[in-house]
Amino acid sequence: MFANTLYINMFNNILLCTHGTDGAKKAEAFVFKKKESVPDMVVTVLTVLDEDWRQMTGDDWLNSSKTHTTFLDHVEEQMNEEIAEEWLRMQKQYPLATQAKFIQRTGSIAETITKTAKDLHCDLIVIGPWCKRKRFSIHSTRMGLRSTMKNKELHPLLPCPLLIVP
Amino acid sequence: MTHIKEQTPTLIMGAMLLVYGLIAQSGALLPVVKYLHTHKTLDLQVTMCLIVGCIALVGALVNSVRKPGHSNLDTFILQPLGGIVLILVMAMLIRWYAEPLMKIISQSLQPVLGFKIYKVLNLNYVVLGILAGVLLTNTWGIPKFAAPGVKCARFVLKMGVIMLGARYSFAELAKLGVYSVFLVGFFVLGTVFLVLWLGNLFKQPRSMTGVLSAGMGVCGVSATVAVAPVVKAKSAEMAYTIGTILSFGIVCMFIFPTIGKLAGMSPVQFGAWAGTGILNSAQVAAAALAFNAVDIETLKVAEIFNITRVLFLPIIVLVLATWFGKESGHKLSFKTVVIDKFPVFIIGFLLLFFMSSIGMFSPPSHYKGKYIDVSYNDRTQVTQEEWETLNKAMAAGEFSGLTPKQLEAVTDLIKQRQIAGNFEDRNNKKEFDHVGRARMAQLEGVLAAAKAKQIELSADVKSAIKHAVKQVHKKSKTVVTLTDFMIWFFAFGLIWLGMHITKKSITQAGGWPIVMGVIAGITKATLSFFVVLWLIKDVVLN
Repeated sequence: MFANTLYINMFNNILLCTHGTDGAKKAEAFVFKKKESVPDMVVTVLTVLDEDWRQMTGDDWLNSSKTHTTFLDHVEEQMNEEIAEEWLRMQKQYPLATQAKFIQRTGSIAETITKTAKDLHCDLIVIGPWCKRKRFSIHSTRMGLRSTMKNKELHPLLPCPLLIVP
Repeated sequence: MTHIKEQTPTLIMGAMLLVYGLIAQSGALLPVVKYLHTHKTLDLQVTMCLIVGCIALVGALVNSVRKPGHSNLDTFILQPLGGIVLILVMAMLIRWYAEPLMKIISQSLQPVLGFKIYKVLNLNYVVLGILAGVLLTNTWGIPKFAAPGVKCARFVLKMGVIMLGARYSFAELAKLGVYSVFLVGFFVLGTVFLVLWLGNLFKQPRSMTGVLSAGMGVCGVSATVAVAPVVKAKSAEMAYTIGTILSFGIVCMFIFPTIGKLAGMSPVQFGAWAGTGILNSAQVAAAALAFNAVDIETLKVAEIFNITRVLFLPIIVLVLATWFGKESGHKLSFKTVVIDKFPVFIIGFLLLFFMSSIGMFSPPSHYKGKYIDVSYNDRTQVTQEEWETLNKAMAAGEFSGLTPKQLEAVTDLIKQRQIAGNFEDRNNKKEFDHVGRARMAQLEGVLAAAKAKQIELSADVKSAIKHAVKQVHKKSKTVVTLTDFMIWFFAFGLIWLGMHITKKSITQAGGWPIVMGVIAGITKATLSFFVVLWLIKDVVLN
């Protein structure tokens, strides 16, 4: 308990990365619980729109570039709606989340997280743990693409410490 | 030379192509290409390498010294040059080296394995090209310098289909068109309604069943991309659906040719089955060429089915838009739903077909770019060895199983050393031509009977008759050139296809879409297999 309080007090500007998965929800719970004990802590909630959506048109060669653009615009619009819903859910669940700053960026996940942390001068990045996938479960629900970051891609880019909430 | 660093890969490829072209021109590669049995393509290798090498070097140098602009030259040639050269180099390596090597290795492994890997896995240039694309994109990824050029492959594939238009006759298009409209109409609508019914049964959202039904029913990811904004599909629904369609389609692309060969399907039957049962249209072309990469009969049939299916896309989009609009209150214009979704390249295909049909590429007497010339000509004679083989076979009574008309045709072939009419009728061109063509038909019948094992002929005799028939078939040079270009365009486009099969897009498969997709996909593939076997006969292209 003492150790927890000690290390979280060391950080004032936290970047919470979430995309609504079970793992990310653990990170949300951890950060907003800690904010109760450290009210001055600045929390920025980041949701990344994976740039790999561009690859999701797969081997489609029949459609015109206009149809492709319409599709990608629809994806962006849909993701914006879903992300807004997710932020609303967070604000309802954690009253302190209303004090947080919510931002959305598009790009490769590891690069976008580290770049945002650098731009906002964050001193800690918080993410959720890897969770067992429910790919073939017919009850599985998720938002957007199933994306995972590789440590070897993320770690060399880190501008500040990274906390993975278990 | 401010941009020289970005242009280095293109410069290197261009220089390597030039060096290769010059070495090939000097004849130093002759032993290698003879070993690989690609010596007949040596002239083409030299020409292609020198032309592509020069263009790559000049283009890369221009790109190095000036900032890319927005002119047509920049957009369509200079910016995509790196990617175009990369895919061309891959296509050349595969067609001239990887495929022949695969054949040699397969043959040498046959005594150990008991079968030819090359034949069982259909490892021709098409499949190898797709595998090379898959390997590149999932290991190093598509290099940055090549990204703009890789996008051009969509246009190149469309050009391939447009050029294919020159290879159809009115009769073929009419016959195949009727079959394809009935078969595709039944299976497209059937699959769409099956998925909608399954969605209702499993109580799934309309947006998800709408997008999945189009993908499974019409033309895979292309239909999904077209329909998703119309039915307002959610992000996860699109990801699940695209992942499911890509995974199922890839499995079909590799399994269909093997099943087709095991079932003894003819090129026409396989083309019809692939065109109906495989989801993505690029995968249809890939499977058709994997089944038969030398003769384009399978591709011709598959593409007609493919085009028919694609023509159903605006109709299905309209149906789904109406169905979804009723529920959600969204209103969409006819232009947004139908006109914007119409595949314009099909107009190009039809244009080439009409140009070919009115004799712009070959005289009107030509059929499928070929014509039959049974007039006397030294060049249409069989060789001395072939003539002796036929003579000996006749003396030995090898032709005893032939019908009287077939025997008469063989006797005349030996007598005149070529397929022709009667010498005494040579001034009556109509009669001379008629008799010559009838003899050619009889000789083709002899070959068919030998193939069906109704009669027994030695390999040398069959080869001699085959050569005699081939000698009177002349090909239009324009059509031959168009076909060669078309094959290269498909090879180019299918490497691009492989580059878009990413692990990430495949692993999106899951949820209810995979359950409903697999049920619908397997049902469609299985039913269409039996219907095609029952309905489609070889006579379609005769």
